[in-house]
Amino acid sequence: MSLKYGVMGLLAEESLHGYEVKNRFEAMLGGTWEVNIGQIYTTLQRLERDGLVRPAGPRGDRGKLLYELSPEGQKALKQWLAQPDSGPQQLHEDIYVKLLLATRIANGDLDGILARQKRTYLQRLRDLNRLEERARRDGRIDLARLVRGALLHTEADLKWIDELSSERFGAERASTK
Amino acid sequence: MTAVLVKAFRDLRRRRLQAVVVFVTTLLAVGTGTIALTLIAQTSDPYQTAFEAQKGAHLVVDFDGKVDPGALAGTPAAIGASAFAGPYRATDMQFQSGGHKYTVTTIARDNPGGDVGQLRITGGRWPSSSNEIALTRSFADLNHVSLGDRLRVLSVPQASILTVVGVVVDIDELRADVGGQQHAWVIESAFASLTTKGASFYQMDYRFSSDPTSAQLQAHLDTLRASVPPDSITGSISYIFARTVFHISTEILTGVLVAFSVFALAATAAIVANLVTGIVISAYREIGIMKAVGFTPTQVIGVFVLQILVPTATASVIGIPAAMVLSQPLLASNSQALGLAYQPTYSPLLGLLALAGALLIVTIAALLPAFRAGRLKPAIVIANAAAPRGHSGRWLRRLASQARLPRSVVLGLGDATARPVRALLTLLAVVLGVATVVVALGETRTFNEIYSYEGHIGKVDVVVAKSPALADADTTKLINSQPETGRVVAQAFANITAHGIADPVNTLTFRGDSASLGYLLTSGRWFSGPGEVVANGGFLQDAHLNVGDSFTGSVNGAALKLRIVGVVYDFTSGPGGHILMLDWTTLAAGVPDLFPSSYMVTLKSGSNVDAYVRRLAAAQPDLLDVQAASTGNTAFLSVIAVVLLGIAGLIALIAIAGIFNTVLLNTRERLRDTATLKTLGMSPRQVIAMVATSGGFLALLGGLIAVPAGVALYRVLFDQLSALGGNTTPPSFYDVFATWELIAIPIVGVAVAIAAATIPGRWAARTNVVEVLHAE
Amino acid sequence: MSELVRLTEVTKVYQGGITGALNGVSVAVEKGEFAAIMGPSGSGKSTMLNLVAGLDRPSSGTVTVGGTDLGKLGEAGLARFRRDHIGFVFQFFYLLPNLTALENILIPAQLKGNVVPGRARELLEQLAIKEVADRYPALLSGGQQQRVAIARALINNPTLLLADEPTGALDTHTGDQVMELLGELHRHGQTILLVTHDAKLATRHAARVISVMDGKIVDDARLESPDRTASEVIRVRGEEVSR
Repeated sequence: MSLKYGVMGLLAEESLHGYEVKNRFEAMLGGTWEVNIGQIYTTLQRLERDGLVRPAGPRGDRGKLLYELSPEGQKALKQWLAQPDSGPQQLHEDIYVKLLLATRIANGDLDGILARQKRTYLQRLRDLNRLEERARRDGRIDLARLVRGALLHTEADLKWIDELSSERFGAERASTK
Repeated sequence: MTAVLVKAFRDLRRRRLQAVVVFVTTLLAVGTGTIALTLIAQTSDPYQTAFEAQKGAHLVVDFDGKVDPGALAGTPAAIGASAFAGPYRATDMQFQSGGHKYTVTTIARDNPGGDVGQLRITGGRWPSSSNEIALTRSFADLNHVSLGDRLRVLSVPQASILTVVGVVVDIDELRADVGGQQHAWVIESAFASLTTKGASFYQMDYRFSSDPTSAQLQAHLDTLRASVPPDSITGSISYIFARTVFHISTEILTGVLVAFSVFALAATAAIVANLVTGIVISAYREIGIMKAVGFTPTQVIGVFVLQILVPTATASVIGIPAAMVLSQPLLASNSQALGLAYQPTYSPLLGLLALAGALLIVTIAALLPAFRAGRLKPAIVIANAAAPRGHSGRWLRRLASQARLPRSVVLGLGDATARPVRALLTLLAVVLGVATVVVALGETRTFNEIYSYEGHIGKVDVVVAKSPALADADTTKLINSQPETGRVVAQAFANITAHGIADPVNTLTFRGDSASLGYLLTSGRWFSGPGEVVANGGFLQDAHLNVGDSFTGSVNGAALKLRIVGVVYDFTSGPGGHILMLDWTTLAAGVPDLFPSSYMVTLKSGSNVDAYVRRLAAAQPDLLDVQAASTGNTAFLSVIAVVLLGIAGLIALIAIAGIFNTVLLNTRERLRDTATLKTLGMSPRQVIAMVATSGGFLALLGGLIAVPAGVALYRVLFDQLSALGGNTTPPSFYDVFATWELIAIPIVGVAVAIAAATIPGRWAARTNVVEVLHAE
Repeated sequence: MSELVRLTEVTKVYQGGITGALNGVSVAVEKGEFAAIMGPSGSGKSTMLNLVAGLDRPSSGTVTVGGTDLGKLGEAGLARFRRDHIGFVFQFFYLLPNLTALENILIPAQLKGNVVPGRARELLEQLAIKEVADRYPALLSGGQQQRVAIARALINNPTLLLADEPTGALDTHTGDQVMELLGELHRHGQTILLVTHDAKLATRHAARVISVMDGKIVDDARLESPDRTASEVIRVRGEEVSR
């Protein structure tokens, strides 16, 4: 869904060729989202089909077509931006499922899973910290904000892991007594 | 109200140490204050009190022995006296006791009570047989005559022995060391054998329903003169004169006592104010919480005032009666020193006054910071957690830094002055304490100095008094024949009439090197030849003369041209009294039969004074009275010393408590700073040094202010004393302090302060950094 | 790299209400490291720092700093040790309120008997607080106060800089600046032990995160610092493209 509106957003600024759309999109996301040109063209075609974008003038040299946002597209983009993100919480990472399985499977090594995950999160925090720093250094405040969001998400993940660990410690202590 | 009470009492329990410090300080202060008040109450008009108690005579008149005693019986009615005693038969009696000869006025009296001039028996009993005698206590004390001593009567041919059976206090005569001939009493049946014909006289005591004025007394005397044959009245003493003379010696003591009491009270108020401020500051955050939970400003004030009032009230309730009991022996010795009879006096009114005063001072001291506490805005207080702190003392730290003092010392100096008001109040207590010690030391020494001065101590070793029966030439020869005799100055008494002065002026005539007697001159120089004279300030004043002026005096009708060359510092002539001193040659012309009454002998260095005195006395046992020069009644002086130094010591103690308290408060408030400094690497020793410096500095500063202040105050008091004798104090008399003492006093003060500060210093050094810094 | 700090089987038992007991902690820190000790409040992380600073003594076990066994030092010896080797930065700054910024900075040197105004001025400049040198702490912002505190910690060129929640009393932005400062010091070779409960801060400059929980070290992570591309760290992803 965001790719569709991302393309529309970029076209709202100015008319672009398919390749320009790909490059602009990747630059905007600072390399955090890589798209292939095929996806871009497919998206553009779908948008054109739905009347949200339209070619701006005839096909140019080497068959490039310049796209622009149609008035309906303008309206749809505006609507999308105004609409808050709702819908269910997205948990993409495997750890959630691993956790569930580890408690079911005997010798699931929950402690090991937690410890290793914690390390990973720590490393990720460090990487994100460096990324944020770099973004700021490059003057990409928008990107730094994005990284900051990721940092806080990871911090929350780490807290969750710590909480699980201390729960485990507590349970162990209680059972050994 | 319940909340206020509960909170106040819980706080008291929690701040036990503070409560104890408040209690102890108040106890000390209230005690000192009460003792001081008691002394003031007693010394303010002790004479009047005793005069009323003993029904003292307003007028004592001596009548010639030839007067018809029956005629005297009518005199009280003639002058409107409400009561009278006498006529008593009296005579001047000379007796010998322990190698010394004394003259007393012996009065025939069968009982010590009566309507007028009651005698208080302070030791022994009233004579009951004809070989017994009672003496006045001041005389007995001065001359070391005790009960049971046997006196050999010399003034009558048939030598008789009298045993001392009683010692009394007589309100109608002057104290022995102040001057005047003392009284002694025998029963009437014993009198006849103690007097010779024509040597006895009558004494009448008159008392009036209200205290007569000087003029009324004079009028009464005139009436009496008219009612008896001419020249029958041979002498009189009025209560006004006795009172005046009495007051000279007590006035200075009373003045010093009042000053000291005020000091003690001021020092206490300062320290209590510090204590309360300290409690408020340490409870700063709590105040915010109290207000947040709904205490009104008034209730906050109430909590703090109560916290102070409980320990102070307890201390007062214990301290005031204790001090009143404790002051009794002091009062007793004071009475004795003043020559009065001692009666235990417990004045509930005085106690209540002390209690009210103490509570008032404490409440005021507590209210000021408590008001501040009441006004605090809760949000600010809670947020800041600790009371705001000042930055004062910066210049001091800068100065100390530039002096390259160790950092802990510099920090200590900053701490000492971080709270200026607290520093000032502490300083006040220290200054008062040290100044009082200086004044007390100075005054006690001055009294001794004056006695030494009057007795020519250090200039004259032996005083030889001669009976008129022994010729001057013989005496001089005898004295000069002693190998140890170094210098002899003979002294004769004479009376010179001077224009503008009503009474004949007491005159001391010296033969020999009189300049060596050490008389101090407040201006001019000592006389160096015939016609030159030195006078006391009172004489110059009353005769309207100045140094360099000449005047004509007359002695035995012969005119004498005298020129004043100097003003002598003198106490013997008393207030309003006059004295002249001149050389023998000046007077010898006008008084052919001038003979010395005493010889002041200075021995060659290394001589044995006792051996000299014994040998000389043995040479003429009946006609010479030989004594080593002495300062007279020093018991009186040591009582004054005990009283003054005792009170000074108490005030000094309060000052030390003040420093301890201030340092304690500072270290408690700065616990976090101390903990921080420890994390920065301040060693325990450096912490103690820092805290000790803060205490020591206040003491040093206090000492530096107090020593000059004390010396100045001492001089003012001394000048007052001098002024009573019409003198200005000669500068050399001020020097009762050795330079090293004036340096040592603040040094000792600093040492004591450092020692006191070391206790909280050690606590601070033991600060548990982790607890303090992580309790935030 | 040589070892600077070593805790061996350290336990610390507290009586009363103080939390933060330690239970058999062994860990070593190398010279030049920037290590973070991380854990929730009451986990014992501050206790570790206090033991390393010699502010507290372990109930059992040994603490060695720069080859010195702190257990062998007396109170005065510990004070001297702190003066010479430790710089301490606190959450609440703990500047002495009645001294100016410059005077605060100079104290550790002066306690040693050194006069180093030049060094102090240098630090003021380095920490960008030159203009506040003569001001009193009450007039400084939190960030300025913490900078002064850091300057004070550095005045004696300590072997080890200890920071206990140094950004805890600061807003995020100011806290970031203070952390940046610590990172800068580390890049210049300063060994730093940072105590924090904030994982974001811990991983910012520290390449090592020691996790403490209930008085025990539960994890000792040495983190890598390769230059990763954004895509290696974050993946932003919308829904799959539908056909």
